[in-house]
Amino acid sequence: MNCHDIQEMTVPYLELDLSPSAVRQVTDHLEDCETCRVDMEAVRQVLVRVKGRTVPDPGEAFWQAFPEQVRHGLGRGSSAGMLYAVRWPLALAASLALLMGAWLFAGIWDWGGRSDQFAGASKSSSASKHIAQQDEPDLADMDWEREWDDEDPDIVLATMARRLDRATVDRLFRGI
Amino acid sequence: MAEASDYELLDRYAGGDEPAFEELVRRHQKTIYDLAYRMLDNHADAADMAQATFVQAFLHHTTFRRESSFRTWLFQIGLNLCRNAIRDRARQQHENVEDLPLAAPHDTFAVTAAAQARDRLGSAIRTLPERQREALLLRIYHDRAFAEIGTIMSCSEGTAKANYHHAVSKLRRVLVADEGTRELS
Repeated sequence: MNCHDIQEMTVPYLELDLSPSAVRQVTDHLEDCETCRVDMEAVRQVLVRVKGRTVPDPGEAFWQAFPEQVRHGLGRGSSAGMLYAVRWPLALAASLALLMGAWLFAGIWDWGGRSDQFAGASKSSSASKHIAQQDEPDLADMDWEREWDDEDPDIVLATMARRLDRATVDRLFRGI
Repeated sequence: MAEASDYELLDRYAGGDEPAFEELVRRHQKTIYDLAYRMLDNHADAADMAQATFVQAFLHHTTFRRESSFRTWLFQIGLNLCRNAIRDRARQQHENVEDLPLAAPHDTFAVTAAAQARDRLGSAIRTLPERQREALLLRIYHDRAFAEIGTIMSCSEGTAKANYHHAVSKLRRVLVADEGTRELS
């Protein structure tokens, strides 16, 4: 065993991490080789000095409070963990809610547009039937007169309004 | 009566036993804090990291497969968190030199850390490559066997040994060079 081999085995030797036969070989070499002995002592000193480095004790109050700190962190952590665990269902639910909202919103919008279209259609139909009564609603199919006799006029007007499209109602009540 | 094992305490914790939780934390708090302090070099970060280590362990205790001891598992979690903290710190330092100190100015332990920073050995340990430093800390300060160090660091026993030996050799070179410089001056 030469000096290079011993250098390679210095740390395991000091760590008692060698086989008994290897320990014997290194020990024999060290007895005869001063360079390796000095080297071995230097490494031992390094280990002693590193080992001697201490961590300042934060004090008994810190250790007493520590489990509670962990419990506190765990409380926050678990709610965060739960949120993390259900993140995909939450994301899906949020997406669905957004889609529903958008659909409803667009539906109202479209309904408004369609009402306008119906109003236009109604208007053109009215125009062809009653050109002279453009400002009046198309009530040809309604037998309103009977209702006027039986009901309160305000209620009849409200009922009429419910059955009419928006454009017609706007036209009817424009002056009111 | 024999002391309950970590596994027994963990089972009791899973069943809602609060004293078991406290016993587990008290049993390992100093070890994990020591590791975190040696990795991060200040009390504030070490305390946060030790707390985070236990929080992670208890949050995910159902995923612990019990192929190692509970303490080894804590070491694994703690080391991972410390690595992340060191990388974050490096990024912060890179991004903003003004925010260099991690510890709060009122941190009394920062005084000790500053004193330690002055000594050559401390800075030599701090400048060791991450894996070598971890192997050194686990071996010297926590008396872990190389096989366990390998488990903690997710590497083979041989790699753990090699990292440790490189660390010691590097420290020796640094100290020899330092002493040579001192003798010259």
